[in-house]
Parts: sequence; C-alpha cells; structure tokens
Amino acid sequence: MSTQTISKASTWGGGNSPFNVSYGKLMMWVFLLSDAFTFSSLLIGYGALRYSYPSTELAQIESLELGFAQNVQEQFAAPGVDAHHGEHFIPALRDLGIFNEFQWPSPDLVFNHFPFAHGLHLPLIFVSLMTLILILSSVTMVLGVEAGQRGDQKAVSKWMLLTIIGGFMFLGCQAWEWTNFINAGARMWANPYGPPAFAALFFGVTGFHGFHVFSGVVLNIIVYINNLKGTYANRGHYEMVEKVGLYWHFVDLVWVFVFTFFYLI
Amino acid sequence: MSSQTNQKVDIHDEVNYDPTVWVPKAHSHGTSDIWKKFWILSFLTVADVVAYFIWPPSISRNIFFILMGIIKAWFIVGTFMHMKHEHKKLGYMIILPMAFVIFFLYWMMYEGNFWGTF
Repeated sequence: MSTQTISKASTWGGGNSPFNVSYGKLMMWVFLLSDAFTFSSLLIGYGALRYSYPSTELAQIESLELGFAQNVQEQFAAPGVDAHHGEHFIPALRDLGIFNEFQWPSPDLVFNHFPFAHGLHLPLIFVSLMTLILILSSVTMVLGVEAGQRGDQKAVSKWMLLTIIGGFMFLGCQAWEWTNFINAGARMWANPYGPPAFAALFFGVTGFHGFHVFSGVVLNIIVYINNLKGTYANRGHYEMVEKVGLYWHFVDLVWVFVFTFFYLI
Repeated sequence: MSSQTNQKVDIHDEVNYDPTVWVPKAHSHGTSDIWKKFWILSFLTVADVVAYFIWPPSISRNIFFILMGIIKAWFIVGTFMHMKHEHKKLGYMIILPMAFVIFFLYWMMYEGNFWGTF
C-alpha cells in the first residue's frame, strides 16, 4: 500500500511521487497554473483599462426608467418607424448621452438580449444561463470522473456525452452573444456602446476563453471515443478522464471570473 | 540509494500501468458531495445577479463580487478538481501563486482609476 513512511531526504530523492499524484496529473496541474497566469494577465489588463474610464452614472441609467422585460425597441423607436427593424435602442441612448466614448457602458444595458425575446430588456439573464450551463457540464464531467474511478465504462460514456453536449451548448450561446454584439456594430476597433477598448477586451477575453472551451470539447470527444473503444477498460484505469476533467473544470473556473469581471464589475 | 529500498513506491506511466505495483491513484468519493456543490454554485451565481441589481456600484460591491468568485473557485477546485483529497503541498503549490495574482488584480483595478487624469 501507499502508506509507507518515507524519510524527508528520500521524499525528494527521486523514485517516488512527493505530491502523491501521477506524473500526468501533476503536469496537468502545472499547465493549468501557467494557463491561469495567462488568463489573469488578460483580466488584470481588463480591470486596469475598465477603471481608467469613469462608470456610467447611476442617475443617468435610472432616468431611463427601464423596466425588466420591457420592450425597449418600441420604447426607443422614432415615431412612424417599424419597431421590429433596425436598432433603435443604441442610437437613442447615444443621443441621450448614456452611451459615449468617455464613459464605460453599464453591462446590463449592453447584454440585455435573450433568444426568442426580441426587443425585451432582459439584463444579464442570458449570461447567467450560460454560466449555469457550464457549471452543469462541469458536474457531468466530475460524475464521469467518478464513474471512471469505479471502472464503470458505460457510465463514463453517458456522462462524457452529456459533457460534450453541454460544451456545444455553451459554444452556441457564445456564438449567439458574439453575433448580437457584432450586428450592433461592435468590432475590435469600434464600439457603438462606448469606448472601443470595451469591445476589444470583450472579443479578446471571451474569444480566448471560447477557444479553450472548443479545445476542451475536442479533448472530451477524443476521450469519449477512446472509452467507447475500451482503451481505458483495457488499460485498467481511467486516469485520462481525470486529466481531461481537470482541464474542463479549469475552463469553468475561468468563466466564473470572466462572468465576474465582464458582466458584474 | 535510499529510494531503491522502497520497492513498492514506484511511478509508472499510465500507458505502462502494471496493477501489481503501486501508482498514486484517486478513488471515488461518491456523488452526493458533487450535487451539493452544484446547488451551492448555482445559488452563488443567482446571488451575484441579485446583488448586481439591488446594490449600487461601489468599490465594496466589486470586492464582494471578487470574493464570491474566489468562493466559487474554492468549491470548483476543491471538489470538482479533487484538490481537497490531494496532498496538501500540491494545493499550496497551486493556490499560493494565485493569491498573489488576485492581489495584483485588485491593485491594477485601483491603479486604473488614476490613468488618464493627468
């Protein structure tokens, strides 16, 4: 058994595992730490740039008298214009001086869309749903890891498949979010809601995170296929599921902070 | 060599795994803790959104959101990434560098307030 007493000199003397984990898992942890530094640098840059601009004043937002689930397209449409075509909300708020180049826009005025609820003011609801989808896919992943630790090949297949579906759902949500933002006129260098840095940082950080999610989905599919082929059952253990699981949880962890910084702060 | 006297302590590549020799291997801790952490994480996410709407923007609100992020990270790393069952030194190796990074994050948000005012 593993409960041998090893003297301190031999702990780091080679031939054993000082951290009591396998080589592959330890190296995954080291990679995740370095990846965490990369994301931290992006979020540190975001925090510094965001507070180099003054926030939108609360009195300005309250003067809009925007209600939850109110139809903003109709409310802000010019008279005689079909409310369902074109963006009336952004030009109206630009005219009111709420969206301008010198103030950081309030995220609940920017990200207030929801699929099949066209024109309604639903702030932060969609991104909360995305967060819950990613947390749920993290749960199915860890249930897959747990099934692997018991050596249950069928359960691993089931949970890995659900994790892959969760990953695709999240990517679909992010594609929808990007499409809305781009259709509103946001580019890497331009932003109708306010300072161009807002759009540049949004595309940069959520794009970087989205590509991590995509890579995670590819890794999950590889593990799923290997498990169907019985690779891990033949090997006698499911450690590859655990290692890919660590990566997938890390992606969830990064999203927690992207959500905190882009949508809440 | 002292390490050669510990014959059972031997590290193997996962491909060349031999079940007769010891490898550090995680074992199942059941699923009840996982679901409990799922409900806690969901509740914290909803609490974040509620706080966003009932609490006017301020530095203390930002500190609250960052602390909520750290609490969520604690549950994800501890339970989902199995850290609370790992060797303590591995936890320190990962968490201590990140503690400095979080300090730096807050520092630069504060510093940003003074950019462009000169």
